[in-house]
Amino acid sequence: MLGNHAIAQGFIEAGLAVAMGYPGTPSSEIMEYIMEESKKYGIYAEWSSNEKVALEGAYGAAMTGARAIATMKHVGLNVGMDPLMSSAYTGIEGGLVIVTADDPGMWSSQNEQDNRWVGMHAYIPVLEPYDPANAKDLAKISMEFSSRMRHPVLFRTVTRVSHTREAVEVCGNALPIFGSGIDRRQKRFALIPSNARKLRGELLDRWMKIGEAVEELPVTIRSGDDLLIVTSGSAFTYVLDSINELEVNPTVINLSVSVPIQRKKLLDLATRAKKIVVIEEGDPVIETQLKAALFDEGIRLPILGKSSFISPAGELTIDKVNAVIAGALGIQQPKKQRVDLGYEPPQRPPVFCPGCPHAASFYALKLASNTARAKPLFSGDIGCYSLGINLPFDEEDVLTDMGSSLGVGMGIYRGSGEKSFVVSVIGDSTYFHSGLPALANAIYNKTPLLLLVLDNRTTAMTGGQPNPTHSIPIEDTARGLGVKNVYSVDPFNIKETVNIMRRAIDDVKKGEVSVVVARRACALEAVKELKREGAKPLLYYVDDEACKACGICYNMIACPAIQPKDDGKAWIDPSMCSGCSVCAQVCPYDAIKPKGDASWLKKWGEAL
Amino acid sequence: MNIYMIGVGGQGLVTVSNVIGAAATMRGVKALTSETHGLSQRGGSVDVHVRLGDVNSPLIPMGGADVVIAFELLEAFRAVPYMNNESTLIVNNRLIRPPTPRLKLPRADELLDKLRRFKSLNIVNAFDAAMKLGNPIVENMILLGAAHELGLSKLIDEEAIMQAIRDTMRMPDLNINAFLMGKSLARH
Repeated sequence: MLGNHAIAQGFIEAGLAVAMGYPGTPSSEIMEYIMEESKKYGIYAEWSSNEKVALEGAYGAAMTGARAIATMKHVGLNVGMDPLMSSAYTGIEGGLVIVTADDPGMWSSQNEQDNRWVGMHAYIPVLEPYDPANAKDLAKISMEFSSRMRHPVLFRTVTRVSHTREAVEVCGNALPIFGSGIDRRQKRFALIPSNARKLRGELLDRWMKIGEAVEELPVTIRSGDDLLIVTSGSAFTYVLDSINELEVNPTVINLSVSVPIQRKKLLDLATRAKKIVVIEEGDPVIETQLKAALFDEGIRLPILGKSSFISPAGELTIDKVNAVIAGALGIQQPKKQRVDLGYEPPQRPPVFCPGCPHAASFYALKLASNTARAKPLFSGDIGCYSLGINLPFDEEDVLTDMGSSLGVGMGIYRGSGEKSFVVSVIGDSTYFHSGLPALANAIYNKTPLLLLVLDNRTTAMTGGQPNPTHSIPIEDTARGLGVKNVYSVDPFNIKETVNIMRRAIDDVKKGEVSVVVARRACALEAVKELKREGAKPLLYYVDDEACKACGICYNMIACPAIQPKDDGKAWIDPSMCSGCSVCAQVCPYDAIKPKGDASWLKKWGEAL
Repeated sequence: MNIYMIGVGGQGLVTVSNVIGAAATMRGVKALTSETHGLSQRGGSVDVHVRLGDVNSPLIPMGGADVVIAFELLEAFRAVPYMNNESTLIVNNRLIRPPTPRLKLPRADELLDKLRRFKSLNIVNAFDAAMKLGNPIVENMILLGAAHELGLSKLIDEEAIMQAIRDTMRMPDLNINAFLMGKSLARH
């Protein structure tokens, strides 16, 4: 079972009633599993339009007495911070667990923030599983703990728990526990200052009680000598394997709660230790708390951890942990042979898939801005289209966070003394996530920019989750906000797309906001759907006689299906071609020809 | 036993690791498999760590792979840090060009020559074999067959693998045929 599925199963076994989330690697499979199972059990599950909405939804459900979760990736919690902080003040009636899937190593993220700090900041306890089987148990425990304390709980998983599979024992589900509503006479959930002042005091009292109650939650102790290793989460598994490999015998304690630390159990072992090593995935969160606790108790011991001895950058590996433990003990690590073949393969960065409509849009955007001599500053956003930063496109100059294409783009325009020509590039899901308020700002404050919405009908990067674009036309939202210049294009029609983009560039030159919606379903999802429906495929091939080896097709759209042959002529891999027709339109010699059912493209246009 | 798999997004590495995991669990062997999702699916390099037996952590140590399955020739070189002189290396004789414009690459036979440094190099023409079976998609099962023949069978019998294929995959007959063909290719 995948770690994320195990987490979902744990919540289902704990009587989950309401689940809301926004997709984000490595968290997405939690909600996918719940959605799959929800109909069987009567659980309400939704993909929300962003993490704040998801967290508020779960929070509201928990106010009524329901057991609820909100799921998101680590940076998603930044978006949900506002309701999160309030939830600790008010507490809840039912159970509320917020799942944050952190991504040490940044496998698919813009940073490696450690959201356990958020627990300290918000007065919310943080539980951390160490492997999929443990994640299922701990998910259940965290929901029960939240219900018992009537307080939100953060459940912090990481890539190596969420995306690891192992055998997990599944128990029967519990009936979903819904609430009964809110008693309107009590205004506990209305955070006007007079209420909030009172609740602040209650929060501090509750935090004391939580500090005591976490002592009853699981810890795993391995008895050994006077080196004490303190771990939590996935770090525990590396420590166990490292001890075997190094053949050493330290005492180990693994905490299931990293905020606030399970202090009594920890201090009990610390008093018998000569040296402590804290190994945790991320920042020195446990180490910082432990040092404070030892200071309070007047215990002075050497403590090694993420604050000085171990770099907090990157994810842990068994080799790093071996080095740490060997270093702490002053012993040699077993020597490993290294093989050197004297060849470094070229990097293979992720690229747009064959037939990706984004590649076509970026190609057209380049053509349009070159011919219009616009010299844009490309303000990008979070999604598959981040790959537009790569050559040959080079059309993502800044991209920092969800929705930043608009917000940061406007700042660049103002900051550069209104000299920058800003093109903001955003996807459909990100547009609904946080583009809408930013577009309102552009209209209201009269900031000229070209907004290109790449509507591929799905949240593609995280595996193709649905989003509001299915029921709300993006053009309508832009018009509704007061944008005069709104255009729809099909990026698989290159000529028309370039022409429309030229018009939009002219609008911006006049000082207006212009919105171009480039709509074509994600190639991965569309091809899957069309094949399921039995549509006959369309393939393109290169007419070797007509090809002049100019390289425009493989150099300018960089489709992985098109490869140069030794003579420079193009070759299209039939096993990869998805029949998008873009290369055929780009070829100046008409050397790329279709084979198959021409209605394929029309059906694709209607997919998703 | 540590099995390190590396290839290009879309080659079906995760499916192979799922089959191994299911078969191991069926035989009471602890299995941990760890994969990367997200952007790495988009035609980039993908690796999967499969650990069988008495282990706790999901990642294979440097130099700690017993078996390496390289689904592509260039990717094989990225597996080298996980290998030692005794590692069994199974390489799919297939070169997939990274779509970086104007990239110069060595020829496939030049790459294979460099890999011959490993005594236990096994070259498998999995893509051709899969085409012979009529579907390039079963390339991954051919490689699984080869890996089974060359090491995995020490821990998991072939019946368990075939049962796991039946339990977890669509088109089980085609995939089992591919698995068996991979085994026989590795025997020769």
